This record gives sequence, structure tokens and C-alpha cells, in this order.
Amino acid sequence: MLLEVKDVSKSFGGIRAVRSVTLGIEQGSISSIIGPNGAGKTTLFNLLTGIYKADTGSIVFNGRSMIGLRPDQVNAAGMARTFQSIRLFPTMTVLENVMVGAHSRLRVSILQTLSRAPSFNRQEKRLTEKATQLLHFAGLAGKGDEVARNLPYGDQRRVEVARALASDPKLILLDEPTAGMNPHESADAMALFRRVRDELGITVVLIEHDMKVVMGISEHISVLDYGEKIADGTPSEIRANPRVIEAYLGRGAASGIDPNNPNAAKAEAAK
Amino acid sequence: MTTETLSTRPTTGILDSLREHPTIKRIQSNWIYRYIVFPVAQMLFFIVAAALVMTVIAYAVSIVVPEPRPNINLAAQITKQLPGMIVSGVGIGFVYAMIALGYTLVYGVLKFINFAHSEIFMVGAVVGFEITDRLAASGTIASWNPLILVPFVVISSMLVSGGLAVLIERVAYRPLRGSPRLVPLITAIGLSFFLVDGVRALVAVTRNDFNLTYPTQELEFLKNPIPLTFNGPVVGGTNIGGVTYEQITADGVVLDEWQVEGATYSSITVGGVTLGGVPVKASDIVSGETEYDAVLVEGRDLDDIEDGANIVNIRITVIIIVLSAVIMLVLLNYFVNGTKIGKGIRAVSQDQATAGLMGINVNRMVAITFFLGGAFGGAAGALFGLNVGTVTPYVGFIPGLKAFTAAVLGGIGNITGALLGGLTLGMVESFLNGTLVYFPALGQRYTDIFAFSVLILILIFRPSGLLGERVDEKV
Amino acid sequence: MTTSRAAVSEAGARSGFWGRFPNPTVTVGFLIVYLAVVIGLLLSLDRASLWFSIQSTIVFPAFILSPLLIHSAPIPRTWKAVLIGLVMIIAMPIIGISDSSYLELAIQVCIFAGLALGLNIVVGFAGLLDLGYIAFFAVGAYVWGMFTSTAPTIFNELGILIPPDSQAVAFIIFIAIGVLVAACIGILLGLPVLRLRGDYLAIVTLGFGEVIRIIARNGDSPTNFTNGSQGLLNVGRPPVNADMVARIGELSNTLNIQVVGNLEPLTQQILFYFIAISMLGIILVVANRLQNSVIGRAWTAIREDEVAAIAMGVPLVRMKLMAFALGAAFAGSIGVLYGAKQTFVSPESFTLLNSISILAMVIVGGLGSIKGVLLGAMIVTLLQLQVLKNFSLQLNALKNVDFVVLGFHIRDWPTQLEPAKYERFVFGILLVLMMLFRPAGLLPESRRRLEMTRTNDVPEEPPSDIPGTPNGPANPAAAGVGD
Repeated sequence: MLLEVKDVSKSFGGIRAVRSVTLGIEQGSISSIIGPNGAGKTTLFNLLTGIYKADTGSIVFNGRSMIGLRPDQVNAAGMARTFQSIRLFPTMTVLENVMVGAHSRLRVSILQTLSRAPSFNRQEKRLTEKATQLLHFAGLAGKGDEVARNLPYGDQRRVEVARALASDPKLILLDEPTAGMNPHESADAMALFRRVRDELGITVVLIEHDMKVVMGISEHISVLDYGEKIADGTPSEIRANPRVIEAYLGRGAASGIDPNNPNAAKAEAAK
Repeated sequence: MTTETLSTRPTTGILDSLREHPTIKRIQSNWIYRYIVFPVAQMLFFIVAAALVMTVIAYAVSIVVPEPRPNINLAAQITKQLPGMIVSGVGIGFVYAMIALGYTLVYGVLKFINFAHSEIFMVGAVVGFEITDRLAASGTIASWNPLILVPFVVISSMLVSGGLAVLIERVAYRPLRGSPRLVPLITAIGLSFFLVDGVRALVAVTRNDFNLTYPTQELEFLKNPIPLTFNGPVVGGTNIGGVTYEQITADGVVLDEWQVEGATYSSITVGGVTLGGVPVKASDIVSGETEYDAVLVEGRDLDDIEDGANIVNIRITVIIIVLSAVIMLVLLNYFVNGTKIGKGIRAVSQDQATAGLMGINVNRMVAITFFLGGAFGGAAGALFGLNVGTVTPYVGFIPGLKAFTAAVLGGIGNITGALLGGLTLGMVESFLNGTLVYFPALGQRYTDIFAFSVLILILIFRPSGLLGERVDEKV
Repeated sequence: MTTSRAAVSEAGARSGFWGRFPNPTVTVGFLIVYLAVVIGLLLSLDRASLWFSIQSTIVFPAFILSPLLIHSAPIPRTWKAVLIGLVMIIAMPIIGISDSSYLELAIQVCIFAGLALGLNIVVGFAGLLDLGYIAFFAVGAYVWGMFTSTAPTIFNELGILIPPDSQAVAFIIFIAIGVLVAACIGILLGLPVLRLRGDYLAIVTLGFGEVIRIIARNGDSPTNFTNGSQGLLNVGRPPVNADMVARIGELSNTLNIQVVGNLEPLTQQILFYFIAISMLGIILVVANRLQNSVIGRAWTAIREDEVAAIAMGVPLVRMKLMAFALGAAFAGSIGVLYGAKQTFVSPESFTLLNSISILAMVIVGGLGSIKGVLLGAMIVTLLQLQVLKNFSLQLNALKNVDFVVLGFHIRDWPTQLEPAKYERFVFGILLVLMMLFRPAGLLPESRRRLEMTRTNDVPEEPPSDIPGTPNGPANPAAAGVGD
């Protein structure tokens, strides 16, 4: 297991957003976490990456406990993420965004920076090359000099992925990476995530609402509802799980299913 | 963020279970209880609590440091001074609380520190001076009934300051809404500087001087303090502004400068009462080369005072401050919690965008909030002026900063918090003013540092303040 | 990336003022003529003239702004270097010999430009509003002052003052000490407060600035460290020797310029001028290198989105501390220079007004833009030390001759309305107008221009993590990543 989450809980002023969630992520897998809105998926991501502190439970990543680590330390440990609402550095260029992503892999020394020692210049050069390669990998070749916020939406999502990859992670957490994309763009994004795993060997975990994406790409799915994990398994197991169907359909389609494609999702879930 | 922004009730209470009781609920739903009894009782409770806390701290300090200087028993001195310190602490505390309300109201609605608020307060003080000075110049001031004069001055200051606050919001802040946080903050700092010198230019041109002395100092009803007898041998007390006695005479000569044991002091303490400076006995007092037999402090013999006429002088202005503040706070509580506009303001404070979608005129609510905050600042300014006597265009900075400290101390965005923070800070400051004199190495000049230290410590350890909700540490 | 941005700015420059010039040769010619005219005017101004104050207020800024003008011109780098060198290393000292008050202004501009560049690291690069920045400057000045002043301090009593003949070496060592002490204090202050949100940080730093000033003012008892409100007198300075004085005398003879007053203080001023421009030069290089580095990019990231930055592995507190300490270090080193230059260090030189005036320099020039900050420092310093003062002088001169304009007797102008007394007014207006109409400054950094024009209709605090929760995560920044 690359990541082992055990009995993790988190409350906000009496509301238990995540309730003793336990799950494991296999090295080299592509997994999804699904669930209706407000199920606690993003909170779980925030707990994993140290943005929130877990009330109880343990998170062991790559054999090391992540409890009590700051987000930057978690990143340095090899867990990178993207955000549900895109959080690029809006006025930096695309290339600079990716370069910042590599921060935890860089030597940050005031003396070297001020003296412009050869090692500093070497590092800058390597970093620029690496960032350019990553942009190429993410299908953004030639867009490095554009200001991030001027990019079209789909490209901004790709920059987020490239930025996360810049820290050479072992695991990448993608928070609704295809939200707001049309089917064509989603398909491209899915291809990109597969390549992240196949070509770079990075384990991928997604939060997704788009069932096409989830079922099409995941090898393993965990379902959250009201902060609890209600199901866990392969896509076919999840499709057949009555609790999952209840979570999605019993509470009304509007609350839990991708607004772009509610029928497809319902159908998928009902299968 | 505190979600009970702009509510006057503490967000956490030990009486939560009691609140559910039907009888209690019936009483609570009565408007007299809700809008008069409860707020007034709450203020009384805060005053008593702050006084108690101060007493405990005072004696704790006196136990830890039994004899800061030879022949001075700190505990005895504190016993003597405590009532005076409490009275002045309440006075200064309410002034801080009223200014702090301005910060808190605006913060609650716009999540923005109105740095220029200290100058709104200053404008209130200057307007109060202008009005009383004009009345004095026309010779009619003495014929005014105090019960009309004081409200007239205070309300005029409130209107001008409130209007100014609205103007500032309209011209300088509204165009910047939605820009990065630094932008309105810097604008506010600029405005604050601009206002200080702008007001100075205005008054300086007409008067050729910018030290403005309220003519009310000469009015009979403000001049004579109300003596209150206490069990302990207590005299006088410190007050807002730190100066208690204007005139000290020795053998009929007014002393400008004091010498004690060879050193010159600009101020002095008599019988443990601060005239500002070090404590002395009458026999110690030398002015220039001469020793004096009879030293009078505002007409009373120093030795008599020291022997302990059991009196605390409560200045009328302190009473005026407390009364005005209580009335205004009750009205504010009603306005915010009992009216439709108040509901609108609370809605805007919780979610501006949604409030706008619900048909609330956000700009109007923000303007009203600025008016309220400005009016409180203006009232505080006029009352402050009446109390200390002399104001300048530069008078806003320190009280403004301390009031901001008070707002943060209580939990910024929380109206009750502003009151509690102001009282706490006023008490502690009054206590420090009264007792730091016994520590020659420190002295009162460090009182200001204390306020800043409190601010820094609170922001570091509990940025949500006393009444604010505990928040997760920011990422 | 760098090239493309440079190209853009180059093109922008061409389309503006410089667009009128057909080719670099003409531009260089124009600049040379410009410099010749300005320097000629400066040297020929008649100080006995009634309008001297106004004239010098117009001509001197035109001169001191010329290095920036040259730098912005579309001409080859070598030409830029030659012309700027000419202005700063040759023309300025000569003008200084003719009237040392210009030299004084130039030194002050350098000092404040250094300070502003330091504050720019904190506010402009890292986005941390520091309203007590002057405190670090004070630390530098006091560090030097305490060990050289003849005031009756504890250092004097213990006899550990630096003797005058070794003050030249000591000065350089103390610049390093000033850097270290200020940086350490910056770290000590920063450690607890840098977790705070922006506006709280501003207030805390303001309080800190006041605390440092109050401590300096009261630091004379029980042990006299700072000589209290009287300040430290006779602070030491790197001495000039007879040889230098003689050379300056020769120079003035060769140039046929009459030296007003004594030669020795003039030589001292010239020495300080060269120290000041060297320090400014070093600071410029440092600021530039910081900006274009891993550190600079991390600061930008923090400024734009703290949550994203920390999630991408940027250690927030450490990077902020670095900005704080480096900014403080700049101020500390400049403080040592200031103490030596003024020979007098008193708490009243380090008030909130000073902090705000440095902030005004950064804002007027353009947050984050090194060139802009230089411009801002020039404008604000000249405004403070020359323009307002000269307006007052001019007013008095006109009063003395009973000048009448449009039927108004200047004599009747109220003394209370002397321009020099209204610095706050001017800075206040400047800050407000800049924020309202040009928040990115006069010479904005390209990125900052984008940032400042951002209009987000989204409320400051994004919706809470859990729908229907009354409390939300109570975490404004993190709430943005909500479900």
C-alpha cells in the first residue's frame, strides 16, 4: 500500500465532515473517490495533504506518517494535488507556475541566489528544462510564456496537473479534474491521467462526479456519503452496490449527480 | 470567521441549557428584556467582571512584588487606589469600546480594517470643540442646561463624524471593493494621514493654533467632581489622559515644575495618587530652591489628602461617558437586532453576494454601517474632548490604535466583544497607570507598550479574540 | 520567457515617449543635450534670485531623475552605462561641490531608495504589509550610534566606544552587524506574527514599530542604552583625511567652482555620497537577483495564493521569514549609514510617518517593480526634503519682498499653512490617489499590473466547506478548496 488511511475523522463545529474513513491506495493504481456533494471528499483530500488537521486517525504514506505535517512537508514527501476550483498563480506565466511546483525539490539558498553561483544557474537551467518537458507532456507545448489566467479553462486544468507533477510525486490527488469540461475534453484529460500513471509511474487518485470518467479510468473506487465510506471496490462491484445506488438515487438525482450529464450518471449508477 | 458577526450576544454561553427552558424563553422573547434589560445587565456584568479581574490581578501583582521601592507597600497603595482606578478604567474603557465599535461594525460587514477610523474619532473631538467654542464665544454657553448642552454637542459630533465616514466610504472605499486586500488598507492609511493634516489646516487657518481647549473646562457642572466616600483611605485617581490635577500650589505659588530629592519631575504622585510620576510626601516637595509648608492640590492641603480623606473623586465627565455609552449601546443593540435594516446589515455581513441576490441593497447597508461606526467614533471623540479638555488633530492615533486592540481583544466583528475588549483594556491600563509609578525603572511611559503587547499577543495566540469563535489555524 | 517580456516592454517604451525618436543615435544625442542643459542650469542658478527656491525645485529633480530616464531609453546598454555613470559619478559630485545641499539630497535619495527597495521585498515581492519597517532602520542606526556616540550611555561609561581613528574600518564591519542584528530581530518578530492574515500583520508591525520607538525613547533608565529622548549625539562617521580634502580643493580649483563654506565637511559629504551609491548599487543587485530566482517565484506564488503555494511545497512561514529578514537586513545596513551620516540618532527620526513615507515610495513607484520603487523613492524623498521645504522658503522669500499676486498679498498667507508642515497631507493624498487611479504604481511591474486590475466579483470569503453548516470550516483561505 502506498497510502493507508485509517479511521480518519474531522469535524467542523459539530458537523462531522469525515467520519472514521479507512481506505488504502495501491502503488501504481488509478483510484477514484466518489460521492454526492458534501460527502466529504475534498475535506478528505485536505486532510491527506495537511491543509486540515485530522481530529483522529492515521495517515501513512509511503511508510511514513503524514499526521502533523504541514502541506509543504506532505508535498515534499511525495503527495501532490490539484484543486477543485482552479488555483493557479494567476499572473505568473504557465512555465513559472510549473517551476513553483518543483519548489520542494529545489535547493533554496540565499547565498547561492545572491552570488549567482554556477550551481544556481545549473539548477535554474535544469528547472526550466524540466518545466518545459512537463508542459509538453501535458499537451501545453509552446504555451509556457502565456500568463496563466489568460489560458482557456481546459488548459488551466492541465497546467494544474503539470504543476503538481513538477514536484516528482509518488501520488497525485486530482480534485474533480474534469469538472466543467465537455466530453471531448474529458476524454483527453482521461488519456493524460493514464499517461501520468503509465509513463511516469505515478499513482493517481481522483475525485470525480463524471461517471464516464470514473468508470472508464478507475481500477478501484471508494464511495463516500455523509462523511462515511459506504463502499469500496472495483467499478463493477460499485455499480452493483445497493448502498451506492441509494446514496445517489435515494436522495434525489439533483444533489449528487453531475449536472452536465445526470441521466448517464444515473444509468451508470443504476447498472 | 465568527459567524455571529454583528450580534450582541456572546457566541458561547454556559447557560445554553437554561436558555431552552420555556419560562426563560418567554422572558427572552419580551422586547423590554431583549433590548433593554439584557444589554444593560450585560454591560453591568462586564463592568463588574472587569473590575473583579483587575482587583485580582492587582493583588496578585502586589504579592509577587511586595516592595518595589523602600517604604512602599504595594498592596496598601493598591487598596487605596483601587476604587479610583476602577472608576477611571470604566470611563476610559467605554471610550475605547465606542471607538472599537466603529472598527468592529465595518470589519463585520466588509472584512476590512478601517484604518482611518481613528481620525473619524479625532474629527468628533474637534467638532465638539468647535461647537462649544462657538457657544462660548457668543457668551451663551453658561446659560445652557447641561442636560441639553452635552447631548447637543455629542449628537452634533456624531452627525458630522458619521457623515464623514459615509463620505469616505463612498469616495475612497467603494470604488476599491473587490480589489486585493492591501489596496483599501493602504487607502485607509492615506486617508488617515490626509485627515489629520486636513483638519489641522482647517483649524489652524481660522485659529492660528491647533491645540484646541474645550471651553467647557470652565463650566461649573463639569468642573467639580462628585466625591464618593469609600472605606479605604482613597484619594483622587487617574483618569483618561493620565493627568488628574491641573494646578498645584505651594504657599500660594503655582508650581510648574516639581523637584523631589533633587530630581525634577514633570508630574507627581501624592499619597499614592498619581499626579503623574513618582510617589512623594508633602514634605518631600521642593520647587526650585524653596521648601514649602503648605502644599495645596486643587485647593486642598496635601497633608490632609495624604492622611486620608476617604474620598474618590468621580469626574462628571466620566459619568457622562458611561451614561452616553450605555444609552447608545442599547440603541445600537436594538437597531442591529430589532429592526429590518439591522437584519439587512447582518445579512450583508454574513454573505454580501447572497444578500445582494435577496434584494438587499448592499451599498446602502454598507453606508449605514459606516454611518453607525462613524457616529460612535464621533460621540467618543466629543466625550473624550469634554473629559480631557484639550485636543489636537493628532489626538486620534493612540486611542484609535488602542481601540483597535480592544476590538481585536474582544473578537473583531463582534459588538459585545468590542465592549468587553474596551472595558478590559481600559481597566488594565488604568491599573498600570496607577501602579507602574512604583517601579522607577519602568514608569508610566511603558503603559502604551503594554497595549501594543496585548495586541500582538492576542493576535498570535487567539486571533479570534475573547468572544470570537476558535478558528482553525490559517493555512 | 524573459526575452518575450523584455520585448514587450521595449515595444511599449517605443510606442510612448521614446517612439518619437527615429533611431538610437538621435536618442543618445537628445539625452546628452538634456543632461547638458539640466547640469548647466543647475550650476548657473543664482541663489540670490527671488525665485531661486522654485527654480532649483524644478531643475534638480529633472537632474536626479535622469538616470531612470536614461535607463528607460531604447539605446544600447553601453551607452546607458556610460551616461548613467557620467551623471552619478562625475556630474553629481561636481554639482555637489557647487552647492552641497544637492549632495545632501542625493544622499538622502540613496538612503530612502535603499529603504524602499528593502520594504519592496516585504510588501512588493512577498505581499506582506509591514507598517513598522522603520524600526529595522532604527536598529541599524542605534547599533552604530551606541558604540560611537559621546552621549553619556552605558557604552560610553564602560569605555567600549570605538575610537575615532578606527571608525573607518568599524563602519564597514558595523554595516554587516547592522544587517545581522536587523535580520535577527526581523526573524524574532516574524516567527510569531507571520502566521497572521495580511491586515492583522499590518497592525502588529505598526505596533512593533511604535514599541521599538518607545523603547528607544525610554532606554535611558535604569541603564542608559539609548540616551532616551535626547538621542545619541556626536555619532561617529568614517573619517576623511587631509589628502582627500586637498584633492577636492584641487578639483574645485580646476573646475573653477567656488566652494560655499568649508572644504572638509564637503569632502565628508562626497565620501558619504559614494558610500551611499555603492550601497544602493549592491542593494539593487541583491533585489534583482532575489526577484529572478526560486525565492522570488516562491514569494510571488505566496502573494497570489497562499493555499496553492503551500500545497505545492512552498514552506509559507520560512519563505515569509526570509522576505522579512532580508527586508530588515536592508534597512539595518542603511540605518548604519544614516546614523553615521546624520551624526545624530534620536527616536523621533523613526516614527510611523517615516514608515508610511517609505510605503508611499513603494506604492507610488509600483509594488514589486524595482525601477518603479527607485522612481518612487526619488519622488517622495524630493517631495519631503526639497519640494515642500522649498515651497515654504519661496513663500517666505515672497513674503519678505511683499509680493502681490492677483491682488493677494503673499504676506497674508497664514504661517500655520506652511507647506513643509503638511507632509502627512501630501503623503495621504498621494496614497489615496494612487490606490484609486493607479494601484500598480507609476512604473508598474508587468505582473502587478495584472494583479491590481483583477476585479473579482467573488466574495472575499468563498462559501463554506459543508453546505448548510452554520460555522463552516472557519478558515477563510482553506474554505476555497471546499467540496
